[in-house]
Amino acid sequence: MNLPRFETLIERHHDEIYRYLWQMLRDTHLDAQDFTQETFMRAYQAYGRLRPDSNCRAWLYKIATNCAYTALRRSRREVSLDDDLPADGLPPPEEAVVHNLVLEDIRQFIDTLPLKQRAAVIMRHIDGFEYNEIAQTLDCSEEAARAHVSLAVRKLRKELDGQRR
Amino acid sequence: MAENNFHPNEPTQAAVEASRSRVMNWFSKTATLLQWATMESPLGTIYLARNSAGLCSLNFGVSEAEFLGGLDLRARTENNPDALALVIAQLREYFAGTRSRFDVPVDLSQMTPFQRNVLHAAEAIPAGKVLTYGQIAQDIGKPRASRAVGQALGSNPVPIIVPCHRVVGSDGSMTGYSGGGGVASKKWLLHMEGAL
Repeated sequence: MNLPRFETLIERHHDEIYRYLWQMLRDTHLDAQDFTQETFMRAYQAYGRLRPDSNCRAWLYKIATNCAYTALRRSRREVSLDDDLPADGLPPPEEAVVHNLVLEDIRQFIDTLPLKQRAAVIMRHIDGFEYNEIAQTLDCSEEAARAHVSLAVRKLRKELDGQRR
Repeated sequence: MAENNFHPNEPTQAAVEASRSRVMNWFSKTATLLQWATMESPLGTIYLARNSAGLCSLNFGVSEAEFLGGLDLRARTENNPDALALVIAQLREYFAGTRSRFDVPVDLSQMTPFQRNVLHAAEAIPAGKVLTYGQIAQDIGKPRASRAVGQALGSNPVPIIVPCHRVVGSDGSMTGYSGGGGVASKKWLLHMEGAL
């Protein structure tokens, strides 16, 4: 499969990359527009080296995620990143949990999550990524990607349960 | 007061559009512009593309998507027949039999010096004549490089304009052609020029 033209990449993916970065950065003073442009600038520099069979969407999200990480680390030194989580057995199916939660509540709590969990849960439940795509984007195993999403959802459920009591 | 506390869940459509416009603006300033056009010919639709230095791609026997997919993927493309008007006019004259040489700037900067030498040697072959791969190799001072000459001609980005079809095997055989339609197109062009 051949890569699309770079201009096609912008047309197809700009809006979702901007929305993704907006979600990632929304609790900061950082402007998602700056990092959307930086994402496409970095992608443009590297596009000539991308393998023809690459998943361009996952590749762009990976660059956007790295841009967001760098920006968030700079702006909030206290944020600590999780290492990839070991997966001890299959995580419980989280879709059912998520769909029972109130969307607005989820979005507010997403902002409080560690970066990898935040990125994973946005990609899974807002952008509709498969776990293998999240794994490619976050440079982790598919099991770790499932664990990031699962742990994030468990935290959200706990938080929301606590609020309701 | 309620409005001051409002925390939207999604960026506004205006913000999305502003970001898209900003990225497109950066891209249009950064990326090389390739202008392209098509023309109909006896060999089918011919696709042409040029950059600021000159004609950089010509192909036929391919789809539009295949042609555009073969251009520099990072470049910005613009369908602009006016930008290709000169070469289109000359190609029409060529197919009408009233032109035998082309006088348009051609950009071969992506080729190696050896490839450029081979293509310049092919450019010098007049319509109605053919040379062999070995003769081209001799012409460029690399008498043992017949096979490499064949490969260089095979990478010709602007067939017809650089008439690589005028180069044949030492026994007159036609083993390949870089333009669309392969050897059948090569024979058709040589027949039209009166070389066959």
